[in-house]
Amino acid sequence: MSDFELLKTIKGYSEALAAKQALERSGSGFQEVKGAVRNAVVQLHPKRLPLVVSAIIDDTPSTKTLRVKAADGHRLPPFQAGQYINVFVDIDGVATARPYAISSSPLERDFYDLTVKRAEGGYVSHYLLDRVAPGERLLSSGPMGSFHYNPIFHGQDLVFIAGGSGSAPARSMLLNILERDQPLHFHMIYANSYSDDVIYAEQLRALAAEHANFTLDELISRPEPGYSGRSGRISSELLQTLLGPNLDGKMFYLCGPTPFNEACLAQLLALGVKRRRIRIEANGAPKAPQLNADWPAGVNVDDEVTIAVKGRGSFKARVGEPLLNSLERNGYSAENACRSGECSLCRIKLLSGAVHNPPEAHLRKSDRDFGWIYACVAFPTEDIEVLL
Amino acid sequence: MHQYDAVVIGAGNAGLTAATALQRGGSKTLLLEKHNIPGGCATSFVRGEFEFEVALHQLSGLGTAEKPFIMRKVFDTLGVLDKVEFIQEHSLYRLAVPGQVDITLPASWSGLKRTLVELFPAESDAIGRFLKLCETICLESFMTLPQARRSGSEATLKSMCPHYVEYGFQSAKAVIDSFFSDHTLKTVISAYWCYLGVPPSQIPFPDLAVMIYAYAAFKPWHIKGGSQAMSNALVESFLEAGGEVRFNCGAEKILTENGAVCGVTLESGETVRCKAVVSNASPLHTFNEMLDSEQPPLAIQQDMKSRRMGTSAVVIYMGLDCTPQELGVTTASSFIYETMDDEAIYRSMNSLEAPMGGMFTCYNFEDPDCAPAGKSQVVLVCLQYGDVWKDVAAEDYAATKYAFAERLIDMVAKVYPKLREHIEEVEVATPLTMMRYLNTPSGAIYGFRQSTEDSALLRERLKGVPGLYMAGSWTGMGGFQPTYMAGESTARAVLKHLKKAGEVQHV
Repeated sequence: MSDFELLKTIKGYSEALAAKQALERSGSGFQEVKGAVRNAVVQLHPKRLPLVVSAIIDDTPSTKTLRVKAADGHRLPPFQAGQYINVFVDIDGVATARPYAISSSPLERDFYDLTVKRAEGGYVSHYLLDRVAPGERLLSSGPMGSFHYNPIFHGQDLVFIAGGSGSAPARSMLLNILERDQPLHFHMIYANSYSDDVIYAEQLRALAAEHANFTLDELISRPEPGYSGRSGRISSELLQTLLGPNLDGKMFYLCGPTPFNEACLAQLLALGVKRRRIRIEANGAPKAPQLNADWPAGVNVDDEVTIAVKGRGSFKARVGEPLLNSLERNGYSAENACRSGECSLCRIKLLSGAVHNPPEAHLRKSDRDFGWIYACVAFPTEDIEVLL
Repeated sequence: MHQYDAVVIGAGNAGLTAATALQRGGSKTLLLEKHNIPGGCATSFVRGEFEFEVALHQLSGLGTAEKPFIMRKVFDTLGVLDKVEFIQEHSLYRLAVPGQVDITLPASWSGLKRTLVELFPAESDAIGRFLKLCETICLESFMTLPQARRSGSEATLKSMCPHYVEYGFQSAKAVIDSFFSDHTLKTVISAYWCYLGVPPSQIPFPDLAVMIYAYAAFKPWHIKGGSQAMSNALVESFLEAGGEVRFNCGAEKILTENGAVCGVTLESGETVRCKAVVSNASPLHTFNEMLDSEQPPLAIQQDMKSRRMGTSAVVIYMGLDCTPQELGVTTASSFIYETMDDEAIYRSMNSLEAPMGGMFTCYNFEDPDCAPAGKSQVVLVCLQYGDVWKDVAAEDYAATKYAFAERLIDMVAKVYPKLREHIEEVEVATPLTMMRYLNTPSGAIYGFRQSTEDSALLRERLKGVPGLYMAGSWTGMGGFQPTYMAGESTARAVLKHLKKAGEVQHV
């Protein structure tokens, strides 16, 4: 007896077969949805976004805003205010990238504003500020990142403490709230070193004067003689003065240099703010990893080690240079986006030797167990071999 | 040009087990994954202090160390049994319908019967017979049915598989209705349908029976470090055996020569040669988009015409700054319904309106390592068919996502009211998220819709292109155990094919 004849013995088999055949007659081979998945995904999360610089706006002595449009002239992907794109550049033969928060409103889909401040000892910021002109083509990732307003638990009373160019995501969040007329209160405490280096100063002051739900407090740490505004550094007392005694229900966003973020965090915790009410934007690899508690004894950041890339070659690098940077300088590449130990795109395997994984490295437990590291924040503390 | 025996496209569960079995079986294998980590569904991600399990709720088929079941053997064969640690869950689930039902079933075959009989004494006889039938149907489906089919004899089939002949193609609802009269009992015993996304009136009875029996007898399990730990262990075993893996590198085209597989073009533009391809991608993507022919083979087109798209899901990952006890958690897994009407729950899976049923898992209830001290990792899920997101404009996506998430949280908060007060981290995944990470139409998480017409007994292995093999939820059952097993068994078929091809070359 054939298998088919045999199975017909099972009660309900023939009916199920008839039902299947009916489906076959009315169904399709899914040819009509060819490309549908790719098209749906690319609208929200393109892997690469070809851009063109449409304008460059001088903000302050240290800062310019690069306005970028889609190279194909289409609208750019939507994003959540606070998110960033990773900008890929080729600087004299070295392919690298840096993430920049989008500072324009998410309702503006014809361009993204990327606000670039000259970083001390910087590389990519200098390139973008000094060598990029309107009309220049750039390539970026799609918008990413989890530093954004989340209506599920952030509430309606938002406090953004920004240091320097940390105001870029704040501006996008502010514009989003005001343009959508959202029932949220946005209090921005904006710290800068110099009074002539306050990015978006006039726009922010004008918006604060115009909108009851936006409060702006500025703070200058190195006031020039005759400066009459608020000066000094962020302290618990200052926060208490600016925010009042009741901090319950507020959501705090911290975005500035890492030491600034850490200091603000400590002050907020000292004021009794719960950790769950504080969001901190990642800000690159640590500048002084040797100060971390688990930095190996006797290892100097200026020591030289050998990095071997399995099957491809090897080079020398400084212990204190994040591995991703030295790989890129030596012609290797790994996918990357946040370059701060969070997005996990630059995950590579350590085959031998040891690296220092700073607290910035948000590694999965099993990645740690099986020797996978995030190249962007890994420091080779001895000779290593990696698999790319 | 690089030459491999086999290229595996996709490092989901089946791709990982296929690649590992192939490489360990002596075939030179390249594993491709378009994302930066292995696992597909079996992954985790980190937010703040939390590492969130993406998809594994209860791993089946493992059995205990004393009474091992098939998955221990499979993992052993793949060289990963000593690379991971398993955590047993002690309850099957709590079913809570606020104001109506709140029942917890133990993960024990004898305990399950005892609990149900205590709760529904009037149906004690039927409970005993029903559970016996679940056990028998499992044994017949997996053990005796394949033998009886090989015999080709009706008499043998009837004598070896009497229960399967009677119940094998009935719906779960039809069988449950024929045993029980108490509506609450029927609802409680069939809650696992929420894992499949097809209501009891449409799932084949054996699919539900096998879940009840297997979870109760062989226990539900978690993996220390989450399912990502198993995915990483499989990659480790694959690399140890000499395999080659490329992340952030998908496959663009499957190349054929005289109708047979001869190579793969990678996302990087590079082309590699190979004798076999195992696709862990959907057959839609594999045959309609990657295969280099204009039209897929007729048999494949015909098969796809009889399929319907399976379910996707909305998942909310939450890190809370309170303990499971403070939250009121008493079991790792809960089903939470708004209604005792399964069909109404099913209808809600096809809309963006408030969900009527869902799941809640607290991972650190059984394994404290799943969250920092004093905190909790919880996941809220409701299955949903992805087409409802098709017409949501890209700019409305985030707002729509959060609005739906609020509805799901509202439902779960009726049982765990402190949920909202303690949120430290939240991520929401929708069918579009599944689509992005799984590359499946409508964000399907289990492949095609698993109704009676989808039964493997009505189908043949998808052939038509020599050297091209499918492995994953699309050509079998969805879920962890089935996909792990599908990859391993596909690899055995490929090794046989490669061996034969090798012999031909030597002639």
